[in-house]
Amino acid sequence: MNQFDEQLAVIRFQPDEEWQHVLILDDAICQKCRAKQCLTFCPSGVFRESTEAKQPLMVLYKQCVECGGCRLICDNIDFSYPKGGYGVTFLEG
Amino acid sequence: MLKHWYQAKKIVESEKKSNIEIDTSNVKKYDVVVVGAGPAGASAAYFMAKQGLDVLLLERGPFPGAKICGGTSLIAEHTHKLFPNFWDECQCERIVMQQAYWIMTEDSLLSTSFQSLKFTAAPYNRFTVKRRVLYQWLVDKAISAGVTFQCNYKVSEVLFDGSQAIGVQISPPQKKQFFADIIVLADGANSMVAEKSNLIPRVSPQNISLYVKETIVLPANVIEERFQLAYGYGSIIGLLGYPTAGFNGTSSIHTFQDSININVGMTISDFSISGIRPYELLSRIKNHPFIRPLLVGGTVVEYGASVIPEGGYYAIPEIVHPGLMIIGDAASLVNGTHGINLAMWSGFFAAQAAYESKKKRDFSAKKLFLYRTLLDESFVMQDLKANAKIAKLQQDLPYLFDLYSKIANETAFQVSKVYTMPKKAKRIFIFKKITSMQPLLKMASDIWKVIKVVRG
Repeated sequence: MNQFDEQLAVIRFQPDEEWQHVLILDDAICQKCRAKQCLTFCPSGVFRESTEAKQPLMVLYKQCVECGGCRLICDNIDFSYPKGGYGVTFLEG
Repeated sequence: MLKHWYQAKKIVESEKKSNIEIDTSNVKKYDVVVVGAGPAGASAAYFMAKQGLDVLLLERGPFPGAKICGGTSLIAEHTHKLFPNFWDECQCERIVMQQAYWIMTEDSLLSTSFQSLKFTAAPYNRFTVKRRVLYQWLVDKAISAGVTFQCNYKVSEVLFDGSQAIGVQISPPQKKQFFADIIVLADGANSMVAEKSNLIPRVSPQNISLYVKETIVLPANVIEERFQLAYGYGSIIGLLGYPTAGFNGTSSIHTFQDSININVGMTISDFSISGIRPYELLSRIKNHPFIRPLLVGGTVVEYGASVIPEGGYYAIPEIVHPGLMIIGDAASLVNGTHGINLAMWSGFFAAQAAYESKKKRDFSAKKLFLYRTLLDESFVMQDLKANAKIAKLQQDLPYLFDLYSKIANETAFQVSKVYTMPKKAKRIFIFKKITSMQPLLKMASDIWKVIKVVRG
C-alpha cells in the first residue's frame, strides 16, 4: 500500500451504487487531450488512465471528496454533488 | 485578467426558465428556505426564526459539517457580537494564545511568532474548533429558535416564477419541491445551485483555491510540548514559501485538543497547470526537516480536500436577486483568514433583510437589497474592499511568496553566519547576495506594489 492509498483509506465514504455523480461527457475529447490535467489535479485520484483506447479515463467516483474543482479545470467533466446522504463524510474538521 | 473581471461583473441575462413542472397547489409555503447548513446558512436561519419567520433549513450531508474540512479558527470578537458568550456554549478545541508565521525554504525557517496570556482570558481572540461541532451547535441553536431542519436533502436548483425565485427542487431520491417567499443560498464555495439556476457566472479557477488537509492525532501534552503551549491553549501557524513549491499559496497548522490539522492550498488554476498532485504537496511539507519532528508518532486519521473562494472583492457576484439572497462562501465572502465569521455576519444581515421584506410583503430584489447595503456598510465589505487588490497582486507577481521567502531566509542566514571578514565587508557582501537574487530596482517596484495594495 503506497502512501496515497493510506490517505484514501482513512476517509469515510457512503458510496452511491446506483448513480455516478462525476462523468466524462465525451471520451473522444479525452483521446485527443494531451494535458490530462485531471490526472494530477484531483486530490483523491478519481481520474485514472485506463488501458482501453475507446475510454482513455476511468472515473473512480466512489472515492471523490467533493471539492468540485475538476469541473472548473475541464469542460469535459460533468460534476454534480452526490445525492443527499451519499458521498464523503468528514468528522475531524 | 479583464476577461475574468468582466465575467464576474456580468449580469446573467439568460432566461431563468426551468423545465421542471411546478405544482404549488396544496403545499405548505415557508417564509424562507435556506440551502446549506454551514455557518452562513445556520446563522441566517437562526436570526430569521428568532424574528418570527417560518424557516426551512436544508443540508445535503448526513449532518452539518459533513461535507467540509480544513483547519478552522473562530474569531472571538466577531462571533461574540452575534452569539454573546458563545465560548460557554460551543465546545471549542483550544483557545489560541500563539500566532506565528513561518517563512520557509527547503532547509531554513524564519519565524515570526507572538504569544500572549492576554489572549487566554475573556473576551479572548481566536479559538480552534472542529467544523462538525461548530456547525452542529449553530444548527441546534437554529432548531431551538424554531427552524425546521432537514439532513440528506440536496437542492438541485431554484424554482422560478418568471424571474422571481419561489422555491427549490430537491434531487432524487426525495424529488420534493419546497416553496417560500425568500430563498437563501448558502451552499458553499462551489455554489452549483446558483450557477445552475443562472444566477451567477461560473467561478474562475484563478479565484478559487483548493486546499488539502490531514488531521494527525497526537496526545494533548505532546502537542503542548512541541508547540511550547501552556496547558489547554493552542497555536495557529501560517507556513509560507516552501510549502507551495514556487507558487503563491498558503499552508497552515492548527492545533486541536488532541490532534493537529495541517493543510496546504493554492488556486485551482495553479494546481492544474503545475501538474503537482495536491496530496504530494502535503506529504512534501510533512517531510520538511523542521515539520517532521512536530508530527513524529502521530496517526493520520483523516485526509480531505475542499475549495475556498479567494478572488476577493472583485469576485463577488450579484448576491441579491428577486426573492433570493446568496450568502457566505457562495457569495465569495472570504477575506484572507476570515471566512466563517464573514459567513455568519452575512447570514445575520440576510436575516434583517428577510424580516423587513416579510413585514412589507415585498420580496423584490429592490427590497432585499437591504442585505447588500448592510454588508457594504459593515466591516465585511470594507475589509474586503481594503484587500481588494491582493488577489490581483498575487496573479501579477507569481513569484512573490517563493522569491521573497528565499530572500528573507538568505538574509537571515548571512546575518546569523559568523565570518572572519570585517563587518563593513560583510554588509556589502550581504547586499550583493540579496541583489543577485532580485535586482534592486525590481525589488523596489515589487515593494511599492505591495505597499500600494496594503494602503488600499
